[in-house]
Amino acid sequence: MATTTAAPPSGAGTSRSGAARPAFLLLMTVAAVAALAVALCASVMFGSRSTSFGDVLGVLGLFGGTADDNVTTIIESRYPRTALGVLAGLCLAVAGTLMQGVSRNPLAEPGLLGINAGASASIVAATAWLGASGATDTMWWALPGALIAGVLVHVIGSAGTGTSVVRLVLAGAVLTAVLMAFIQAVTLSKPQVFDSYRYWVVGALGGRDFDVFWSVLPFAAVGFLLALALGPGLNALALGDATAVALGSNPARTRGGGLLAATLLSAAATAAVGPIAFVGLAVPHVVRALVGVDFRVQLLFSALLGPTLLLLADVIGRTVMRPTELMVGVVTAFIGAPALLIAVRRMRGTT
Amino acid sequence: MTVTTEPLRKPVKAPRGYLVVGRAVAVPMRRASVFAFAGLLVLLLAAAVATLTWGRLGLDLADLPAALLGDAQGKDRFVFNRLRGPRLTVAIGVGAALGLSGALFQSVTRNPLGSPDVIGLSAGAGAGAAICALMFPGTVPVAVGALIGAVAAMALVYVSTGTGFRNPVRLVIAGIGVAAMSAAVTQYVVYALERDKASVLTAYVNGSLTARSWADATTIWLVLLAVAPLTALISRRLDIGEMGDDISEGLGAEPKKAKTLAVVLAIALSAAAVSVSGPIAFIALTAPQIARRLTRGSGPHLLLSALTGALLLVAADLCAQQLPLFEDLPVGIYTMAIGGAYLGYLLIREWRKGVL
Repeated sequence: MATTTAAPPSGAGTSRSGAARPAFLLLMTVAAVAALAVALCASVMFGSRSTSFGDVLGVLGLFGGTADDNVTTIIESRYPRTALGVLAGLCLAVAGTLMQGVSRNPLAEPGLLGINAGASASIVAATAWLGASGATDTMWWALPGALIAGVLVHVIGSAGTGTSVVRLVLAGAVLTAVLMAFIQAVTLSKPQVFDSYRYWVVGALGGRDFDVFWSVLPFAAVGFLLALALGPGLNALALGDATAVALGSNPARTRGGGLLAATLLSAAATAAVGPIAFVGLAVPHVVRALVGVDFRVQLLFSALLGPTLLLLADVIGRTVMRPTELMVGVVTAFIGAPALLIAVRRMRGTT
Repeated sequence: MTVTTEPLRKPVKAPRGYLVVGRAVAVPMRRASVFAFAGLLVLLLAAAVATLTWGRLGLDLADLPAALLGDAQGKDRFVFNRLRGPRLTVAIGVGAALGLSGALFQSVTRNPLGSPDVIGLSAGAGAGAAICALMFPGTVPVAVGALIGAVAAMALVYVSTGTGFRNPVRLVIAGIGVAAMSAAVTQYVVYALERDKASVLTAYVNGSLTARSWADATTIWLVLLAVAPLTALISRRLDIGEMGDDISEGLGAEPKKAKTLAVVLAIALSAAAVSVSGPIAFIALTAPQIARRLTRGSGPHLLLSALTGALLLVAADLCAQQLPLFEDLPVGIYTMAIGGAYLGYLLIREWRKGVL
């Protein structure tokens, strides 16, 4: 325990480490895009009332298909939640990849590191005392909360000598506890805030319109572009600070940029659909196992597979308990927590 | 047998500071412990008197002896018998149970983080209570759901670590996973219920001592009285177990049996506390740590941990009653805020020393 050091987040990709073969990458890209396409179709097809694939083609006017108005209305009503699912899934997965790369910690994730709680606390405070409401307001208030929480966790987690895998997670748990006490205190004493908070905190894609999408899109876009720019820096950082400097990279700048981008992305996702845990943890692990350790490739695949996972989780939530619906945040917790538990059983170095 | 005599010295020395009763029971009686015991008792007494006498409805200090003897009149009678008396008795019992439970967990895992909060027991209890409230409203008491949820969460953690409760890192991470699932369930139920019911459930899953009855007090005290003698029986073997399995086995202490019993007792104590008051955060984690610092001992001290837990909870409940920053907050929110901050301080301290 005393000597638990951060394992480099290389995980399972040892056989394909470094630059993967172009043909293999092309194949994987096609597969990932296909998976995303399937998830997109499923998201507009299934729900409390299911439609067929032919109907979807018909609504889109493809291959000469047609659809009656009823079906068209149903399918079009699912567009906003599908768009939000794509955006939030991308944000969470890319944020997770960034955080795991920056902290060289395979357990780093916005939910576990208290960033979601920071955004939540900030939103609750703004709703209670500053009359904030609506997606744009929420967005602006999610940002500073997420940023402060992210910085705090890193400060607590790196107090003393060095940063370890477990420390950051524990620091996140501590911060989450204190912020949760604050959130509960405010929500329990203000029924109106309690009402909006309990609907928001489960993490749902449904019941929101395109306004939400458009108001968080700029933040997500800036965060994503910044993330892509950091790819080479993250690759250098993975080799250790000294090597990164020797390669002409600036580790401090990469860390700062990575934290900023991850915060922008997770704040955007949290503001849009509520705090959703484990997508940012699970997707980067899957991506590393599939395509290896090159962060430029990892970031792109996270951007493809994050939306896929979130949309499929949402479809499961909509269909498993018909006619009522399970929120996507509940589904991802039940997919993600067992994944975490399996990862724990495989942790051999930490006895 | 390759056990040398060298490691034997410490346990042989240890009983000097113990009050030994018969062959198995040994109560630590070092001077620091006695001072700490007396100090905690005085503080607990003061907090108890404050709980009964402060505020608009508080009893007069002069009427307190009469009330304690059962001769309270008029308003005092109502306040003592219905409001603050049972609430105080429950607070002392639940606090002691949580403190003792935390000390047992921490002794077995040899890890200050091995506490019911960190390893998901509290969150599991909350989820059990929530499911009960949603699926069987009115038929199954919420407390029964909490009990089942707590035990189920512990079973899940035990199975998923693959190494039982031995490996602290796995224990904590498995606990976080189980807690996340449990929280998702609770949030869903709070979402699905009507607002008033959801609000009541939220207060319960944060741990509340509002409107407790003498029946609640009886429950927790019965469990406490049943479990306490058993913990006294195994306390010395647990102390020896702190030195590691190999050494204590060499000493014939049968650490595995003692540890299993300790975990069972710890879960029973936490679960009883949860069923009476809901999961009250962080008392089980902080009480043994504070007790340990008071005595400068090496491991958690069971009796002092229980006393510290009782003091912490009575003090926190006093805050909940007399400091309405926000009105009518469940006591668990105060302990969560203060305990969380204390845990952060504790982590930084341990890390500075390079322990974790």
